[in-house]
Amino acid sequence: MHIVVCLKQIIDPEIAPSEFQIDPVRKEQIRGKHALVISTFDEHALEVAVQVKEKTSGKITALTIAGEEGVRTLRDALALGADEAILLSDPTFVDSDSFGKARILAAALRKLSEFDAVLCGRQAGDIELGVTGPFLAEELGLPCIALVANIEPDGDKVRLRRPVENGYEILEVPLPFLATITNDESNVPRLPTVRAIRAAVRKSVPVWTAEEIGIEMIEARPEAAKIELQELFIPKREVRCEFIEGESDQEKGESLALRLRELKLI
Amino acid sequence: MTGVLVFSLASAEGLPRSGLELVAAAERLRDKLGDGTVQVVLLGPDAESYGETLIHHGADEVFVASSPELRSYKTELILAVLETATRRISPGVILFAADAVGGEIAPRLAYRLGAGLVTDCVGFEVDAESGHIRWLRPVYGGKAMAFIVARGPVQIATFRQRAFEPLPEDFSCRGKVQALEVELEPVTDRVSFVEEVREEIEGISLDEAEIVISGGRGIGGPEGFSELETLAQILEGAVGSSRPPADSGWVPHARLIGQTGKILSPNLYIAIGISGAPQHMAGISSAKTIVAINKDEDAPIFKVAHLGVVGNWRQVVPALIRACRELEGD
Repeated sequence: MHIVVCLKQIIDPEIAPSEFQIDPVRKEQIRGKHALVISTFDEHALEVAVQVKEKTSGKITALTIAGEEGVRTLRDALALGADEAILLSDPTFVDSDSFGKARILAAALRKLSEFDAVLCGRQAGDIELGVTGPFLAEELGLPCIALVANIEPDGDKVRLRRPVENGYEILEVPLPFLATITNDESNVPRLPTVRAIRAAVRKSVPVWTAEEIGIEMIEARPEAAKIELQELFIPKREVRCEFIEGESDQEKGESLALRLRELKLI
Repeated sequence: MTGVLVFSLASAEGLPRSGLELVAAAERLRDKLGDGTVQVVLLGPDAESYGETLIHHGADEVFVASSPELRSYKTELILAVLETATRRISPGVILFAADAVGGEIAPRLAYRLGAGLVTDCVGFEVDAESGHIRWLRPVYGGKAMAFIVARGPVQIATFRQRAFEPLPEDFSCRGKVQALEVELEPVTDRVSFVEEVREEIEGISLDEAEIVISGGRGIGGPEGFSELETLAQILEGAVGSSRPPADSGWVPHARLIGQTGKILSPNLYIAIGISGAPQHMAGISSAKTIVAINKDEDAPIFKVAHLGVVGNWRQVVPALIRACRELEGD
């Protein structure tokens, strides 16, 4: 089975809130010295792909749209179990919106020609729109299953487990398909081995430009974008915590109940 | 501006609360725009039986397509019905719930209609000068907020649960409920259903709970969570957790609240032994009242909590339970 995993490169989302800064003019996070990493849910998608490969054999190709620095993220993916990685990089890709990104990924997938599954994280770990996966399914005319936790290969089809309220459901879909992956206890990303990291450094990462995948990015013009981020701000939480006092912890517990009742919260 | 169209999917369990919340959001939007009608497309088994309920909660017009075929995993079918309906009704704005169904259908519909789409909204404002709707949504794991404007022949937004409260039921409201004439036959859904496994969970589900009691690393193990369950039962709430208990297997992963878990907006959130890591706070940024119980007075959770108790939860919580029992017994 050939699985293609689409990864986004983002600024490490685990940084402390005190280090989180935004540029209100460019309307984006200031990178500063923070590392660029594989987006949260995309890492889970890669893990699901690796688990499927372990069950059936096959191949995993990782794709990302980024500048030159995207190579590092792709090497991380190679160390985590991807067999091949391709960087989609072109000056005309830089400002593309989700529609544009789906077109770029679709063009790259057509160039790859044969693939059985496309996996994307359920949403980006930064801007969190959660639309590139479904857009890509539409571009390619693939069946799309959202918020999948894990995948069980079964010949020319797969069974997908997805969490629902108080349980899960099992769905079945023929190859090829696209799934967006949500995090689950079954797909916690593994840590790469030192050997895998070394091997990843030696692998070559081809770069495909707009010309090579045969598209012209007219959507990248800002006036063609379907959405416009007008204002980005860090909300001020003007909360002053009212501390419940008491001689003992028991007394505080009782006073809390009374205060909650007073405020009609319970 | 012609209308604000709400999409909702009824299940065997009935009409989801999110449908009524979206109608409330649509009403508010119509008021701010000063024009338009609130329309609903309701699909699912027995959809027609909920038409009047939607009218009584503020809808002007309800289009129903009732079929047992229209279930949550039948996204290609739902999408086909919705695409036809949208082209026919031709609304200016379409609202979805930001759940598993809306999260997949809204982008695919936006793609087909060439619509601008803003997902996961918690609010909006209408710019007085331009008349543009500015959709408000959290970004960067709740560390920032963004106002986004959508373009296209129609704009689509998905709303987080409990971003709006349903309007009170008013039986004097009048409106039109009509069948949506659509052909379900020609669409073949490539996704098929195999089975569903539901764990019996006693009490209220996390998504619907008005009161959520949540435990973190400080709870120390699975045993402590039974204490939280007791409190939840008395207050008719549900139990959640931050990441450490879920990762350590003290509670099922389905209990996880945060950026990578459930995103909730309960009326009251009681965080016990939770330090307040940003990834967790992203899940409760729209909780109305936050109460924190933590033995570390410098825990970041106290910076966002409205009420705080600095103390050992093993003493505080049993006393809280006793007092709540007495109050509830009144």
